[in-house]
Amino acid sequence: MEKNIAIKVSHVYKDFKLYYDKAHTLKEKILFFSKKNKEKDDILHVLKDINLEIEKGESVALIGTNGSGKSTLLKLMTKIIYPNKGKITTNGKLTSLLELGAGFHDDFTGRENIYFNASIFGLTRKEIEEKIDDIIEFSELGDFIDNPVRTYSSGMYMRLAFSVAINVQAEILLIDEILAVGDQHFQEKCFNKLIELKKSGKTIVIVTHSMDQVKRFCDRAVWLYKGEVRMDGNVSEVLEEYLKVCR
Amino acid sequence: MTIFKDLYNYRELLKTNIKKEIRGKYKGSWLGVIWTFLNPLLMLAVYAFVFPYILRVNVENYTIFMIVALIPWNFFTIAVQTGTSCVNINGNILKKVYFPREIIPLSVTISQLINFLITCLIMAIFILVSGVGFSWHLLLFPLLVFIQFILILGINFILSAVTVFVNDVAHFVQVAMTMGFYATPIVYLPQMLPDKFQWAMKVNPMAVLVEGYRSVLYYHEIPDMNWLLIWAGLSFLILVIGYIIFKKLERTFVEEL
Repeated sequence: MEKNIAIKVSHVYKDFKLYYDKAHTLKEKILFFSKKNKEKDDILHVLKDINLEIEKGESVALIGTNGSGKSTLLKLMTKIIYPNKGKITTNGKLTSLLELGAGFHDDFTGRENIYFNASIFGLTRKEIEEKIDDIIEFSELGDFIDNPVRTYSSGMYMRLAFSVAINVQAEILLIDEILAVGDQHFQEKCFNKLIELKKSGKTIVIVTHSMDQVKRFCDRAVWLYKGEVRMDGNVSEVLEEYLKVCR
Repeated sequence: MTIFKDLYNYRELLKTNIKKEIRGKYKGSWLGVIWTFLNPLLMLAVYAFVFPYILRVNVENYTIFMIVALIPWNFFTIAVQTGTSCVNINGNILKKVYFPREIIPLSVTISQLINFLITCLIMAIFILVSGVGFSWHLLLFPLLVFIQFILILGINFILSAVTVFVNDVAHFVQVAMTMGFYATPIVYLPQMLPDKFQWAMKVNPMAVLVEGYRSVLYYHEIPDMNWLLIWAGLSFLILVIGYIIFKKLERTFVEEL
């Protein structure tokens, strides 16, 4: 893999089985095996022959209507799911912000949860300790940081989660539709932080429906349509075409 | 060898997970970690009454005879039972973020190992107070613990992965553990078993291990090394096969959960 490539997606196919009645126990598995129930299970081709090369330092937006496979592609890049065919390689430490607060435990304090959450992203204790002050400061939680997270409001919860995720020093950041965190002030802050990360040379891939964010932030847009890349290139060109179709 | 590199990189996750397993279990309960001791002690009290007094098992120092077998057995059952469901229970995290999946069964097994070592302190107090005492054979104790740990880890890799696809495994394990309790010489002497069933004491790894613990801690003698080493080898084999199965199945965990 060439050095300046951060993510390489080659000929990737992903299917999902649609279960109408999922056999979960052994009895059901045997029963359904003999019946021709299998026909009932449709296969949904979510991604078809996707090819992408994302260079280091690029900020790419994945756009497309609901069900076009954007989030699936992002999950494939993080290795949460694996492709049926094809290959995805990534180069560099990768962090995904698919859902905020993965691994938070309600009974533990905000501070303890920073340790849990950051360790899921693969940080060592030393690295966490170096960053914990930044994380707490960024979250603006103040003294609440030592209260159990179950006492947090949903806004506080999201702020903490975002602060951890954004302060993990990853080279590749994958973000799924989560820039709507907290109030206007905090959103603006998150956005500025992302721009700062972008300037420091991180590779960022975001899935979003906010065309405003795409325009302000990304250099390149990839338009997915029904599981295929419909258009890939400069943001303004892709957006122009995309908005034409949407109208 | 990427597994060792991965585990090293994610060592903090492994540590916090183990801590969470140990602390989280008793969070909100009054007596907290004391339950780790109380649970086997209460069981012990029942067996120490039932077997010598009602079923008339005649063994010198019966409580010690039994405790040195019961506590390792408890380690085995609790670790395998929690191990079986560990991937299912952590389904939510698996769906949201990537990390080496083997961390989950590994941290569950290690946290149970730590619990076991803590309860061993109770066992030690019993052994000292009763006057049975220790001998140099205690040096073999870590070997037994090590073999048992490898065995449990291997079993947990297999069961935790298979349970994702077939829920029945958890129920099966529960029944198997009840049967295993009697197929292992915990409350009785292996000699009590008729000759035609003696093979069961060799095919059942826990029987071999329990006999080993008993030799070391109760009889003060060297255990049957042949069978112990055979099972040490087989445990490693189970671990390797288990890890391969786990790795194979983990690719579709998230879609099945």
